[in-house]
Amino acid sequence: MSISVTVNEEENLVTIHIIGSFDFSLFNEFREAYSSLPKTYKSYVVDMSMVEYLDSAALGMLLSMRNAIELESDIRLEGANDFIKNILMISRFDKRFDIQ
Amino acid sequence: MKLLCVDSEPVYREIISLCAESVGAQVKSVECFDEAIHAFYDYAPDIVILDVIIKGGSGIDLVKKMKAMAGNRFVPIIFLASQTSDAVMGNCFRCGADDFIPKPFSEILFNIRLKTHMRHVELIKEMYRKNKALTYYQTMIEREHEMAHHVLNHIQTRSERNSEYVAITRLSAASFNGDLALVKTRSDGARLAFVGDFTGHGLPASIGALPVMQAFFDAVDDLLDIGKLAERINRILISVLPDYMFCAGYLVLLYPNGKILYWGGGMPNAFIRRSGGKLDQLRSNHMPLGILPAREFDAGLQSDQLDESDTLVIMSDGVLELKNISEEMLGNDRVEAIINSSYAEKSLITAQRTAEKKLAEYQGESIQLDDITLLALRRTCLN
Repeated sequence: MSISVTVNEEENLVTIHIIGSFDFSLFNEFREAYSSLPKTYKSYVVDMSMVEYLDSAALGMLLSMRNAIELESDIRLEGANDFIKNILMISRFDKRFDIQ
Repeated sequence: MKLLCVDSEPVYREIISLCAESVGAQVKSVECFDEAIHAFYDYAPDIVILDVIIKGGSGIDLVKKMKAMAGNRFVPIIFLASQTSDAVMGNCFRCGADDFIPKPFSEILFNIRLKTHMRHVELIKEMYRKNKALTYYQTMIEREHEMAHHVLNHIQTRSERNSEYVAITRLSAASFNGDLALVKTRSDGARLAFVGDFTGHGLPASIGALPVMQAFFDAVDDLLDIGKLAERINRILISVLPDYMFCAGYLVLLYPNGKILYWGGGMPNAFIRRSGGKLDQLRSNHMPLGILPAREFDAGLQSDQLDESDTLVIMSDGVLELKNISEEMLGNDRVEAIINSSYAEKSLITAQRTAEKKLAEYQGESIQLDDITLLALRRTCLN
């Protein structure tokens, strides 16, 4: 599977791991990953260390996630390679997400 | 699942019926060639079991006939016979049979093999159903893409024609993404340009393009400040599009004296190729249009100066991500080299053609995945 979710109750943290191409084909699966959890967590991490390519549809999916999760919770985008980090910075996603 | 049993011996007809019914098949038994042909037509079985020797004809001929009647439909035909020489069995398979079970047979093994064939029939049926559904959706999507092309091409016709001051190149990808490039000269002589790249594909992308086009041409008529236009487009897209869709873009206003004001969000760097060969970069430093609510939207403009024979070049990310035959993206360095050499040319129309040719050369035989938009502007001569 291209998306897997791990929940760390102790740290109040959810990590969404994405593998391969982060694009429109993951639309429903990605939404499911954060919306099917029984409660809201304090921190969310989208682990992109295994993502090879990201298109503008994926940017839209991240924005949709940001809108769906309460503002008090932070969303960290982790492990993006240089190519993907550049796409995130061109669209100024640093204004809405914590990019690491 | 319907099974047709063709056997001239009543005992076998009975045993086969009992076995087949025990694994959940519905059975019709017949005893001669002609009955079998009729039953194949009327009863439309999913599986046929038959003997090599049948009253009124041969099993081999029967199989040939049934396979011809079945056409594209997958109907496994299984021989159940006491003639088990290699020659007979070989003959049976050659005429189109799918399996051969020797008589007398073990009920347990017969049932297992029958179940296997029934499973294959189910799988093939499922495959047909899915294939039909996929064909339907594929046709629908192709039509939507055609529709989107049509809408965007219509919008595009309202833009200014290419000249020695304006050159627009748009190359649509096979999987259509929704780039938009508009240029129009205002009544005060200033030229307004918009290069936009919508998220998403096909029809959804073109839905956002329609109101944006309207706002653009209204702004040309009303000499609207481009910061205000950016705000307006942002507001329109926030209300029209769902939250996962937006539009990256540059809005540029080029005055007759060469002064440039611009707003950029979510776009790759644009370039000014100075007449001396130096390349300056214009940065888009905002989030794309259609993301931030009005109260957070930043309409802050940047400015620059375009002198005579300088060229302002804006492109969508499809240019940077253009792949050659070995899957290598064009990238920033090669883009800079192409711009620098192409726009050294005095005539803008020739320069644009040269740039197009260089992009096509790089791409070679590989497939273009994203839309490509390349806009070049030069200031109008004052004299």
